[in-house]
Amino acid sequence: MMNRFYQSGRKVFGFGLNQLAGKCSMVILISLFLSISAFAQDITVSGKVSDKSGDGLPGVTVQVKGTSKGTATDMNGKYSIAGVPSNGTLAVSFVGMTSQEVAINGRSTINVTLTDDAALLEEVVVVGYGTVKKKDATGAVNAIGTKDFNKGIINNAQQLMQGRVAGVAVTQNNGEPGGGINVRIRGTSSVRGGNGPLFVVDGVPLSGGDVTGGGQNGGLGSSSARNPLNFLNPDDIASIDILKDASATAIYGARGANGVVLISTKKGKGKGSLDYSYSLGMSNITKKFDLLSADEYVKAGGANNGAKTDWQDEVFRTAYTHQHNVAFGGGDQNSNYRFSIGNMSQEGIITNSGIKRFSSSFNGGKKFINNKLSINANVNFGNTVDNSVPVTDNAGFSGDLLAAVLKSNPTNPVRKADGTLVQTTSVEPNPVAILQYTKDFTNTMRALGNISAEYEIVKGLKFKTVLGIDQSISARKAAFSRDLVAADISTVGQAYFTDIETKNQLMENYFTYEKDFGNISFNGLLGYSYQNFDFYFKSAQATNFRTSNLDQMLNNVSSANNSAGKGSIINGSSSNFNELQSYFSRVNLGIGKKVLVTGTMRIDGSTRFGPGNKYGVFPSFAGKYKLIEEEFVPKNIFSDLGLRVGYGITGNQEIPHNLYTQRTRYGGAGIGSTGTQLNNGGFGTVTFPNEDLKWESTSTINVGLDFGFLKDRITGSLEYYYRNTNDLLTQVVSAQPALSPFVWRNLDADIINKGIEIGLNTIIVDNKDFGFDINLNAAFNKNIVENLLGVYDTGAINGQGLTGAFAQRIASGQPINAWFLREFGGYDDQGVTLYPNGDFQSFLDGKSPNPTVTGGLTLNVRYKSFDLSTFFNGVYGHYIYSNNANAFFTKGSFANGRNVTRDVIGSKEGPLNAPDVSTRFLEKGDFTRLANLNLGYKVKTNSKNINSLKFFVSGQNLLLFTKYSGQDPEVNTNKQINGVPSFGIDYTAFPRARTFTFGASISF
Amino acid sequence: MKNNKLYKVLTLGFGAMFFASCTDLIVEEKDSVAIESTGAGFVAGNPGEQINGLYNGLGLYNDQGNIYSLNQHTSAEMIPPTRGVDWGDNGVWRTLHSHTWDATHEQVLGTWNALNGRSFQCEQILGSNPTPLQKAEAQALRGFFMSQIMDLWGQVPRRTIDQGVDDLPKVMSRSEAFDFIVKDLTEALAGLPTVGPAAVNARASKAMVNALLARLHLNKAVYKSANPAGPYTFDKADMDKVVAYCDAVKADGYDLDPDFYNVFTANSSPEKIFTDLQGQPRNRWMMTMHYDQTFAAEKDGPWNGFATLADFYDKFEDGDDRKFRSIGFEKGYGGLHKGFLIGQQYREDKTPIVDSRSKKPLVFSRDVPLAGAATEKGIRAIKYHPTDFGKYVILRYADVHLMKAEALLRGGNAAAGLALVNELRGLRKAKALAALDLNAMHKERSFELYWEGVARFDEIRFGKFNVKYQDMSNLEPHTVLFPIPALAIGSNTNLKQNAGY
Repeated sequence: MMNRFYQSGRKVFGFGLNQLAGKCSMVILISLFLSISAFAQDITVSGKVSDKSGDGLPGVTVQVKGTSKGTATDMNGKYSIAGVPSNGTLAVSFVGMTSQEVAINGRSTINVTLTDDAALLEEVVVVGYGTVKKKDATGAVNAIGTKDFNKGIINNAQQLMQGRVAGVAVTQNNGEPGGGINVRIRGTSSVRGGNGPLFVVDGVPLSGGDVTGGGQNGGLGSSSARNPLNFLNPDDIASIDILKDASATAIYGARGANGVVLISTKKGKGKGSLDYSYSLGMSNITKKFDLLSADEYVKAGGANNGAKTDWQDEVFRTAYTHQHNVAFGGGDQNSNYRFSIGNMSQEGIITNSGIKRFSSSFNGGKKFINNKLSINANVNFGNTVDNSVPVTDNAGFSGDLLAAVLKSNPTNPVRKADGTLVQTTSVEPNPVAILQYTKDFTNTMRALGNISAEYEIVKGLKFKTVLGIDQSISARKAAFSRDLVAADISTVGQAYFTDIETKNQLMENYFTYEKDFGNISFNGLLGYSYQNFDFYFKSAQATNFRTSNLDQMLNNVSSANNSAGKGSIINGSSSNFNELQSYFSRVNLGIGKKVLVTGTMRIDGSTRFGPGNKYGVFPSFAGKYKLIEEEFVPKNIFSDLGLRVGYGITGNQEIPHNLYTQRTRYGGAGIGSTGTQLNNGGFGTVTFPNEDLKWESTSTINVGLDFGFLKDRITGSLEYYYRNTNDLLTQVVSAQPALSPFVWRNLDADIINKGIEIGLNTIIVDNKDFGFDINLNAAFNKNIVENLLGVYDTGAINGQGLTGAFAQRIASGQPINAWFLREFGGYDDQGVTLYPNGDFQSFLDGKSPNPTVTGGLTLNVRYKSFDLSTFFNGVYGHYIYSNNANAFFTKGSFANGRNVTRDVIGSKEGPLNAPDVSTRFLEKGDFTRLANLNLGYKVKTNSKNINSLKFFVSGQNLLLFTKYSGQDPEVNTNKQINGVPSFGIDYTAFPRARTFTFGASISF
Repeated sequence: MKNNKLYKVLTLGFGAMFFASCTDLIVEEKDSVAIESTGAGFVAGNPGEQINGLYNGLGLYNDQGNIYSLNQHTSAEMIPPTRGVDWGDNGVWRTLHSHTWDATHEQVLGTWNALNGRSFQCEQILGSNPTPLQKAEAQALRGFFMSQIMDLWGQVPRRTIDQGVDDLPKVMSRSEAFDFIVKDLTEALAGLPTVGPAAVNARASKAMVNALLARLHLNKAVYKSANPAGPYTFDKADMDKVVAYCDAVKADGYDLDPDFYNVFTANSSPEKIFTDLQGQPRNRWMMTMHYDQTFAAEKDGPWNGFATLADFYDKFEDGDDRKFRSIGFEKGYGGLHKGFLIGQQYREDKTPIVDSRSKKPLVFSRDVPLAGAATEKGIRAIKYHPTDFGKYVILRYADVHLMKAEALLRGGNAAAGLALVNELRGLRKAKALAALDLNAMHKERSFELYWEGVARFDEIRFGKFNVKYQDMSNLEPHTVLFPIPALAIGSNTNLKQNAGY
């Protein structure tokens, strides 16, 4: 078997579907050995299985113990088994119920009443490589299920959990459907990228990289990649478990430093159901920019070109979203299956933008060999098509689509009398022309699947093997017609083609052993994991087009005139292959009823580090003291009380491929901006190699208190954590002369995040007809960088006259991404900015874009068949830099013939003032948002065929309380410099919408 | 039950098998060539491709920022006005003009990295078993890049190929660096081919190295001076060398182009000694032309940036071809003339251009403030024209010709120098000078070579760098050297910050 993995003298683990089948055949073979032994037979037994209210339970497994003979109950809960030994025993089992064994004692009619399984009802959380009862968890773990998810138009997993868990900050970078989302668990811990958590879907860890290409948009700037989780239909997600502290994440070792998000997809259960749901969403911009109208513009002294145009109305629209989901499945203790198909079509509130997704999933499992062998398989497939508009991150002085909306003269006509568009100069492109002369779509197919087999070797000892594959193919095609008067586009046209292919394969094998030794319960895990990551990228550019037809530009690219060294070029391609090989172990000990101890250890080996540093060891220890089991805790007040303490070390390896050997390659080729000149890439060195690179590591101390009062009417937890990240992986300035201006090093600095998290669930009323509960979460985080030598600038500020400007500096003694600005002090008599502290940038007493407080508040009300859920989300203590205001909303901009916001006209700024980067454009980002309001109605049906019928109305982003002057303070335009990420800068961000959704779901 | 045991054994075995490692985690590269280390630290590359890479990278010189702005904005020839919201750029341009830059100046760092990176690539080529020709080219290029580092910062770090990521490059003083560079160039000379003038001349040649050696020796007094700000003592022996190097360039077929603007076109010219290879000099017109000066050859709105000072413009005599050449309203030229542009500007159809923002006629003014300038302020200059441009010229013969004249003058033969200057002036339709002194010599260099990136070191050599011009607020002599960038100082303890910073 292993020979397969040795190829060309090198140890390679590669399995395609064929090999996958090869492995499966082994498992199937085992199942063929099933032997059926027969016993003496006497009588026929029949009866009814019912629940405690007396209703018959269909689909219950009734089995003669010790044999494979058995049946399932019918629609009315009745069963009949022939040939049963009269002295035998019936085993009656059903998912969610306590199994029962009934001695037959010669009876021919046996009725059984099953009761709900209390143990099963007890909340279970998924941890890496297993599950644990919530009350036995020793680490900081939060679990949320479908009832806790955000509702409405949700197109990815991150949105499902936004605001719902203390210490998990989810920031949607902008309002674009399918756009990037920033997730920070317990603050930012790295100077470089790789601050996001590890996502694990049904046991398969996803690679942190992008699966779609961001890209160029001619002279309109460049855009960031899409959210890589868009492929996964949120309707297929059953639960999300978030591992926050090191004692929980250390089992994922090298990738656990920023937390781990475990996503479990839905499995079939019950007698079988067919579910269909549909929803229609309508979105509108929440708040238009406060721009001058045509009349106001002329009155303020602007040039009157005759028309009255509201460019926002020309470009923004009411956007509709349709979602269809169909799923069917069922399951019992021995097998389960679920199929689903989803179709979503979401329009963005900017004309032409949107995302469409077709998704499909299968989830199935079956047990064999007296339930000792269980096979599970699941596949999630998603095909997304992103329709993009050129709303970019870094548009220069001529701007992108959104900038054009903000700055275009409101007296400019959209069209001439003959219907053709009015286009003036490439510095002031017509927003409607940008829409009309652009076509940009990205087609991404991603499939994620795994198959696992688990066999119980002896009682308590199980072996599990998992094979997983995650493959994605993405192609971006974008055309900008030569008819568009915009920089680098007019008269030549531009087309871009960007492909990304990724393929990640996983193999994991582990033993688990569970046994009680006296009053010590033991639960152990020992495993091996191998994962590889294959990446391919290609981009091509064509210009100097002989056609202005967008389809022809994309589908007949020969229309680019290649004569005389002009035209089209493959800019570049790259590919790399990385591997991660790991050994891991965990031991859970329950000592008596009072103490739980967990120790984990993971050894990760990665190709990202050179010889000698490939392997890193990541241990953790944690314990829980169940105070509730002590006599001194008054049980009439407390229903739960437990203290947890944990410590662990986790890692981060999110750095580019192979930085430790010297490599050479040809650099990227390109076409000059006018399309007349091809630059041939030169031969050069990839990186200044550093053989000593090693893992960045984060140590975390976590202290948690779990409590429950008044029979668990009030439950919650309180966490304190202290995370220290050191050996920071980052690029530092090379000592010149050098192979490259930067070299990757482990910096001997500390990034410290410390904070407190509170989660509180209160059940106020819980009657048959009426229920009311309140869930609250809050997190307080403080971030500081210490012992860092040197400084790192980031947060590029773009716009007219702002080349090279930046707003953030990472330095010792400051929070990460601290604002580094001139102190604005009003204007002098000439309207020129005064800088009382001098015309230079400096830190501002630790003001940073990092929130110090985040919180969520959920109110759930249930009355008879109605339920109402209200969710508020708040972020406080941080500052946002409005690059929009800096670039566009100034007197100088108005003097240049551009539109501005109303407040500019009244200001004392002079028309020739240069708006340098200063606190003038820095604002408090605090906000409270009524993020989600959902009203549901369950229709009572007496139909035998219809299980349930529900209607719902939901509103998203209904109210926003903030002092921020921009469109929305939840914003994060990618303004990185030299790979150092920025945070909290607002620049031509896709505006945010308010959405109302109407939907219905029916289950058969 | 027997079967049951079999499964147990099978599963245990199956499981145990998978605990064996799948991989040794050795990377196989797919998109790049990993160079096998021989254990000695340095690994040899592909010298031919690396040299091509350096030539491909000569576009460094046609950028309007970095090495160009450090040498040009710091002089009396050019002003980078902040025009309302345009060209503020966090002050990078204004501080160069006013001599108030500091060690965190972005372009000081950018230039330091660009030149030093190239210097190390030459080092690698020399360590990669080059052919004799490749060796000579690498030495010529190392001398070329290092001479600019020496000129701008007065100290030159050198990383030898056996130094790894943690080794700090040694730093040569200005005087040591001068000797090192001259030795490099002299050695290179023997191995380089003789190459005559060509429309594109983008490889190291004997003429290129001779021109460089002439420049180095002409400035030797500056580079060897104990005080970088002077005064400087020019040695007759050095001046004789300059004359010899200049003559060697001419011997390879180079000469003055009778048509001043021809050297900036795509035509061949007897003056082109060393040119860019892949880029185009578009920034040279974009950085100065007004955004409404658009026409077929320049469709995108230019950047409306840099101008010259009226004090400099007024030094030119009328009729000097270099001051202004009307190209009439020749088809395709968009009404854009060559030389200095002042007053009302026209389109090709002779209609006056109106500023699309201010709605006023586009009249370039004599006056231009450093900050708060209106869009039409300042006199613009066009040497490279969007309609007929060629490759950017890095070294040209008129510079060599004037260096010879200056060396003769400084060497005591003013008459011979005057003859050379007047030869050039005749071709440029300027009146002959009656006498030649250092003032006239400097003026003549700026008349001929304005906006070509030599202004800073010319001013220093003639003692004019710290002389006040409009909006120059800092007259401290230490500005003759740029500060070692703050980030570089932090990266190498062998570097010492230049005095005054």
